Amino acid sequence: MQLFVSQVLNGIGYGVVYGSVALALVLIFRVTGVLNFAQGEMALFSTYVSWKLTTTGMPVALAIALSMVIAFIGGALIERVFIRPVEGRSPLNVVIVTLGMFLAINSLTQLVFGTDPQQMPSPFPSGSIELFSSGGESIEVSKSTIGLIVVLLVECAALWFLLQRTRLGLRLRAVASNPDSARLVGINSGAMLMLGWGLAAALGALAGSLVASKQTAFDASLMQIILVYAFAAAALGGFESLIGAVVAGLIVGVAYTLTIQYIDALDGIELVMPLGLILAVLLVKPNGLFGRRTVERV
Amino acid sequence: MMMRSVHSSPPRPWSRRGRSLLSLSVVLVLLTAACSQRDDDSAGPSENGEGGGGSSTIDTSNCTTDPTAEIEGDTIKFVSSYPQSGVTAPFAEIGVGWQAYFDMVNAEGGVEIAGNTYQLEWETKDDQYDAAQTASNIDELVGTDGENAFAVFSVVGTANNLAIRDSLADLCVPNVFAATGAPAWGDPDYPWTIGSTLSPYSLEAQVFFELLQDQKPDARVAMLVQDDDFGRAYQETFEALIADTDIELTQVETYQAGIQVDVSAQMTSLASSDADVFFDGATLLACPDALTRAANANWQREITWVSSTCLSKTLMGLAGAAGDGVYSIANVMDPQSPDFADSQAMQQYRDQVESSFPGTDTDNGIVAYGWTQAAVLVQAMEDAEAPTRLAVMESVHNLDLGDDVGLLLPGTGVLTNSGDDDNFMGERVNLVQYTFAETHFATVGDVYDFEGQTPDFTPSDLISSG
Amino acid sequence: MAGPSVNDATPGPEPEDAAPGEDAAPAAPRPLGPPLYPPLAPTVITLRVIFGVLLAAAVLYAPIYFTPQNNRILSQAIYLAVAAMGLNLLTGFNGQISIGHGAFFAVGAFTTAILMVDHNWTFEATIPIAAVLAGTVGLLVGFPALRVRGLYLALVTLGLAVLAPQVANKYVHGTGGRPLLQPRRSEFSSLLTFLDDDQWMYYLCLAIAALLFFVAWNLVRSRVGRAMVACRDEELAASTLGVNLAGTKVGTFAISAAYAGIAGSLSVMVDRLADGTNPVLYFQRSIEFLVAVVIGGAATMFGPIVGAVLLVLLRRNTQDLLEGQKAQVLSPALYGAALMAIVYVLPEGVVGGVRRLVARVARQQPVATAQPPSSPTPEPA
Repeated sequence: MQLFVSQVLNGIGYGVVYGSVALALVLIFRVTGVLNFAQGEMALFSTYVSWKLTTTGMPVALAIALSMVIAFIGGALIERVFIRPVEGRSPLNVVIVTLGMFLAINSLTQLVFGTDPQQMPSPFPSGSIELFSSGGESIEVSKSTIGLIVVLLVECAALWFLLQRTRLGLRLRAVASNPDSARLVGINSGAMLMLGWGLAAALGALAGSLVASKQTAFDASLMQIILVYAFAAAALGGFESLIGAVVAGLIVGVAYTLTIQYIDALDGIELVMPLGLILAVLLVKPNGLFGRRTVERV
Repeated sequence: MMMRSVHSSPPRPWSRRGRSLLSLSVVLVLLTAACSQRDDDSAGPSENGEGGGGSSTIDTSNCTTDPTAEIEGDTIKFVSSYPQSGVTAPFAEIGVGWQAYFDMVNAEGGVEIAGNTYQLEWETKDDQYDAAQTASNIDELVGTDGENAFAVFSVVGTANNLAIRDSLADLCVPNVFAATGAPAWGDPDYPWTIGSTLSPYSLEAQVFFELLQDQKPDARVAMLVQDDDFGRAYQETFEALIADTDIELTQVETYQAGIQVDVSAQMTSLASSDADVFFDGATLLACPDALTRAANANWQREITWVSSTCLSKTLMGLAGAAGDGVYSIANVMDPQSPDFADSQAMQQYRDQVESSFPGTDTDNGIVAYGWTQAAVLVQAMEDAEAPTRLAVMESVHNLDLGDDVGLLLPGTGVLTNSGDDDNFMGERVNLVQYTFAETHFATVGDVYDFEGQTPDFTPSDLISSG
Repeated sequence: MAGPSVNDATPGPEPEDAAPGEDAAPAAPRPLGPPLYPPLAPTVITLRVIFGVLLAAAVLYAPIYFTPQNNRILSQAIYLAVAAMGLNLLTGFNGQISIGHGAFFAVGAFTTAILMVDHNWTFEATIPIAAVLAGTVGLLVGFPALRVRGLYLALVTLGLAVLAPQVANKYVHGTGGRPLLQPRRSEFSSLLTFLDDDQWMYYLCLAIAALLFFVAWNLVRSRVGRAMVACRDEELAASTLGVNLAGTKVGTFAISAAYAGIAGSLSVMVDRLADGTNPVLYFQRSIEFLVAVVIGGAATMFGPIVGAVLLVLLRRNTQDLLEGQKAQVLSPALYGAALMAIVYVLPEGVVGGVRRLVARVARQQPVATAQPPSSPTPEPA
């Protein structure tokens, strides 16, 4: 029982990582309709920026906040310069552009920051909180995991508020739903798209920095496998729902650790579990757990 | 839904079939007319080599090139393929070590083989640790008939070396000092490939076993290993060794090579077993991660072992205090250790590397490793009977060197002359232990001498596999 | 309309056009994309024939002129083209986006490698088996793909591509216990005395690729092909016209997977290994196929081929272009930048762009650049 709970907690630890990246993916998709393969690498670059700032003696939280601002600007610029020319046309072309960015950004990150592994300090206090103990063994969850959960929930709440309760959010949603009509109504579609990308990049920066701080060290491969799981989580949750991304991330993380612990037959191919899970869910609910059914006009 | 009118057909000069046929026939005519043999640029001889000299243990009857051909000109060219970019780029520092040594040798006049002096030349390519890329790089660097290089040197990665082993064996081109500890390099069926001074992983397990026998004969061991043959080498050797003893292997967890750096799930499982000895067989970033997780879980252990692949300043630095007191093995001097700061060999190493590659961190153990490999190679060449591939390879298989080569630890040395099965160069090692306060590995006790014994305690399927 | 769906906006340039007035309608359904060209003037036809002949001559003469290393690179481009052709059928003509074709490629490669290394089959005999196995896996994936649409499908297939090396690692035990299989060089030696090994390799790949090309050509121009495009553009309408949606979509999946499998099989000959040791290899392959399709020109017949050649050249040249260690790190950046540049400059791919150019050269005005209809035209035949 202890072990089960510990592994579930481990899974939550992984899950918040996937969920936070999935959140950024879903945000970009909701606002711009683009599947951004470069999300991970953008987050990676921002993580290195955060790290670099902490090496100057800046407090961690400030470094991350500053990095988020830089990422926001960067994301908006990327949308304007690189994505705009192919937006609205073939989605395949956009995919290729984001893939090209994936390669370019990863490579630039290595060039600028080097390939040595680095350590990212955590903004959360270290140590764990004891949940309960029985028979001499205690179940603990690390404070950083709790911190990350809190951050995620705050992000979700803030985004929900932005999108559902403010005029700006209304404009964002309008552009997402129908860019041409939105333009006709006087909304600056271009600015909205840039805003969406900027926001998602900032989210990615936060996610990346926190993920790196959870690990003993990080290098340029930080986001690569995480991106796969984050996409899986986003798909599971349905690309429509922000909270869905987080919940799905947790599900994927827990499924992963429980598979490692209990299903020896899948030893070495644990990825089968989250994939199978997603496939099963998508078969029943083709738009993900929390997605809305798309209605197409015939 | 709009309808579209169908266009009427215009006059056609040729039917499509007719055009195709015409094109095809024109092409065929061109082809036969232009059919000339292209230049066969292979300069190397391609007849089957005859059997080598009488005392040779290397079978050369299946060579597609002639391994007894003497080196032409006054340079010997070595080629290598190793990661120079991407996340495995830190391995490129091995190259820094051996290239600096080659520079030094060249400056002193070159290497002397059987009376002739040769300058050393080299060329390397980046493979980003991808085995397929290594195969393609080596194909190019060596040439289809082996005409572009004398030998292959210090390729990094087990899969990478495996990917080139067969083709180099066919060509009878030496692949020396494969930079991994896979027992497979001792396979007597592949005399043209040999490992380096890196001890075979099975030997490491053997030393670990002896340490336990010494200090904790009733140990309960938990292991973290990679999910491939590297991990299997540790696990299977150890399991065979403890068969009739009081030592128990309570749990083994694996993690995915190349993908995982965060092994918290595995460590939770291991830490909650009732083992009191931990074998950290992980490599790269997973190695320090395992140590920190173990420390965070307050896992009470008496002995912790780290893989010899984790003996790097960067990795142990990342582990920090969690690495205090861990054991491992080594046979190359740790440049960070104050014990060797004054040794002449160390001084020479630092000076030369600084001169050839200014700004290199010579404290980095893998540069010292690369340096040592070059030293052994040069010594092997100078001991060779003739300036041919066969003679040099035979020399490599008949080494008897002391600890004055490169930066070998005192008491160790390189021996491969104990017989046909002695294809392992790193069989004399020292136990080492890390102190966090002093950030280096210090030698503990005497040298373990396993000369010629590796095949005895290594499960045979690890050596002669595939 | 709730949310953009990936299937909607796919432009579909017409299937490779025949000579004007050739069998039945001049063109199959053509939703968005390059405008319909009126029947080609004789000058254009002449240009095409000359170009075609020269190209064919170059292609056939190449291995005689080039060194073995370069022939190897060309052969790599050929098997990449085969896989891209298959993906083009699925993604370009049938509108199902897959970033997992690397997995089918892996199935083909390992099938061939295992049969050759463990069971001593001859290489040529393994190719049909690889095709069938890969196609079967494609069939299995195609069924759930009916329910899982658009970008969800893309992501599930992505998962497959990442899973493939892990499965190989678990079940394939080759050299040194690794999922690495290397048939001996002698297994691939030339069957014709006047051809060197590498030339034989090239011609064999070329022959198989040409065969598959004609199969794809005929498929696309047939009823099945039109059904494929109909499924992509207007599913509901197509089904009311009697198109078997499920059959078409699953079948296309299977065929495209078979193509990828054959490509994998050929890769064992060209690269002389089947390698599962690199965890991201088959994901990278999947991306390569998709890139080749898009930059060559999706839903065109020559697009995948052009795209494959371009990709291999790009990869090669960005690696060789720069010297030094810094340069090694920079080459993926250049490569990525080049991809992006091509997509900006030629959004319809190279073939689409060339068509426009040719039309301009022949001074043909494209007919009505307004959105062409999205329904299939009634077939006269």
